[in-house]
Amino acid sequence: MTKKILVVDDSKTALMMEREILERRTTYQCVTASDGREAVEKAQQERPDLVLMDVVMPHMNGFEACKMMRQQASTREIPIVLVTTRGEEAYMEAGFQSGCNDYITKPIDSAELVALLQSYLGE
Amino acid sequence: MNREKHKAPGPSEADAMNDPRLGAARKRLAESRGQEDAIDGVREIVANFLGSEELGLFRVDRRSTTFPVFWSFGIDLEEYDLLRALGNAGLERVMRGECHVELAAGEHAGEMGRARAFVPIRSANQTIAILAILRLLPQKLDFDRADMELFKLLSDEAAKALFGPGAYDAGADSQAVTEGPGLGV
Repeated sequence: MTKKILVVDDSKTALMMEREILERRTTYQCVTASDGREAVEKAQQERPDLVLMDVVMPHMNGFEACKMMRQQASTREIPIVLVTTRGEEAYMEAGFQSGCNDYITKPIDSAELVALLQSYLGE
Repeated sequence: MNREKHKAPGPSEADAMNDPRLGAARKRLAESRGQEDAIDGVREIVANFLGSEELGLFRVDRRSTTFPVFWSFGIDLEEYDLLRALGNAGLERVMRGECHVELAAGEHAGEMGRARAFVPIRSANQTIAILAILRLLPQKLDFDRADMELFKLLSDEAAKALFGPGAYDAGADSQAVTEGPGLGV
């Protein structure tokens, strides 16, 4: 069965690239959301196998969305990978406290991203 | 320092074929709706794909051979001396349509000890604006060969999105700057 990834970013450009990577280099299905609030809703509706989510977004940021997904039974177990432009340790610590499973920093290296996704979802 | 060696290294064909950033960047520019959205697109491409949040765009004023700041992000460019930053050779190169890239280290390292790039924005074979990418995020150490293809894409395709299809005609006349003497560095 095809694995489904929910990709969340308020940047149209980032969404286009992440979709491009997934379509070209994996067999995963891609659904998208453009802010944290929409991500929480889509995660409940779509039940993705993994969430790849930007941190800095309007309405609800990635940390808040991550916390909300962890509080809901239907999304509690979904692996969440956060994407950020900041690589500092303190910032990453806040991400793990919100309940994310992993981190990747921008600019995204496509090989690194695919390897990370495959480590959670298999090929 | 011989600035000629700052000419950007070319991308390999494999880099270009395998780089999903190119398809996304091309699509983003092509789908831009108006100038504001195109500026957002350029900012997002530079931030997400090249790893910089300090950048700006200078217009080329062909009549006065000046380079007024058109837009900037993450850095105040009002006092920025583009001519001094580029030098004569760098400016001539950019006006000819070549990128001027300084790397943080290695053969193409610049005087600043950090990476920066000046990308000509081209329309009708003229440089009508210059995109300056002035500092990389801490986790991105340097530009790589694949980035050069992205610079080329921005150079070739950003003008239409930013300034419309008649960008060259609409702007004021880079003929003087491109061909005339006294680039004023």
